[in-house]
Amino acid sequence: MTVATATGSQPGSALERSSGAGGGTLADVVETVLDKGVVIDAQVSVAIVGIQLVEINARIVIASVETYLRFAEAVDRLSITPKGAKGLPDMVGDAAGAATKGRTISGLGQAAREITGVVVDSLSDRSPERERSHWHRDEER
Amino acid sequence: MTNRQTPPAAEIGLFLYGIVPSDVEPTPDAEGIGSPPGEVLAIRQGDLAVLVSEVGLEEPIGRPADLTAYQRLLDSTAAIAPVLPVRFGTVVTGEDAVDDLLNAHHDRFAGALAELADHVQYTVQGRFDEEEFISGLLAQNPPAAALADQVRGRSEVECREERIRLGELIAQAVELRREAENRDLIDAVDRYATANAVRPPSHELDAVNVAFLVAADDEDAFIGAVEDFADRRRELIRMRLLGPLASYDFVSAHQLVE
Repeated sequence: MTVATATGSQPGSALERSSGAGGGTLADVVETVLDKGVVIDAQVSVAIVGIQLVEINARIVIASVETYLRFAEAVDRLSITPKGAKGLPDMVGDAAGAATKGRTISGLGQAAREITGVVVDSLSDRSPERERSHWHRDEER
Repeated sequence: MTNRQTPPAAEIGLFLYGIVPSDVEPTPDAEGIGSPPGEVLAIRQGDLAVLVSEVGLEEPIGRPADLTAYQRLLDSTAAIAPVLPVRFGTVVTGEDAVDDLLNAHHDRFAGALAELADHVQYTVQGRFDEEEFISGLLAQNPPAAALADQVRGRSEVECREERIRLGELIAQAVELRREAENRDLIDAVDRYATANAVRPPSHELDAVNVAFLVAADDEDAFIGAVEDFADRRRELIRMRLLGPLASYDFVSAHQLVE
């Protein structure tokens, strides 16, 4: 068994590798680090001046009518037929290939996309007010 | 030993990255958050140290580059020493606050670091190929196949009820299959891991999402087992392996909240 040591995958491997140390996409970083780690509670140390909890409040995927309709639409659009009588494979495009950045981000759910948007806004300095806004925790997690 | 005497100015805070054993020494090329990147320092107290960098309190935190810098620092630290990540965005007033933190929780942090010694995290993620999954389901589920026949070629207005019922069947099947795949993955690779943590799905087609704490001696065998698992499912699931990472999923996020 050969093992890839860097981002990417071995030829023919079914496993895509992404190193740590910031080697993944922004979506990977967001999903890996946010909402993780030791929380220093204000009761423990009053010296905390701020915890900006950049939070993905909809990381939990909740099936909804919207989801159902999207799946049904996929059946229609892809002409998905029972296995053995395959539909139009070219229409699924990147589904069979490696995850592209755009696809990965699109997979994070609506709230995550919004947050990514805020982060990008901050980067481009277009929205100084939003930069300072705190993102609040979603207590449903 | 870092021992800066100047009290931090009012508008400067310390951004905390992670808690490490006191013999960890940040290299000069270690870059913190901010622009330009802050210098990473270790504030030591007994056996422990906290990796920090100065940040201006007026500076926004949370740009993509900040998140990436935070992860890069923690992951590269984890490659050489155990590290307890501190939640992203934690900023304290100064070294006194860091000292208080380490004094108050010294034994707990030291114990957690001892458990993480010579371990790194890998996260295994997989996503169902939509067409493959649904066609497989329709082949095995006559009610779903019948609904699919009613839906095909008709607009949403014409068959909204049928579409919702079909979509619900698919969503339920994904959920069941996801539970099974997470279990199968853990069965297949957990003998090479010290601990595992199932992560919540981040997408409606998520097939697996599990973090594993892996000992240095077991890394190669673990990766090989994940490759084998991915190979067995290459038609159905696109599999990814993230790591080595700091042990983000094996630090109790609320261990200090009491």
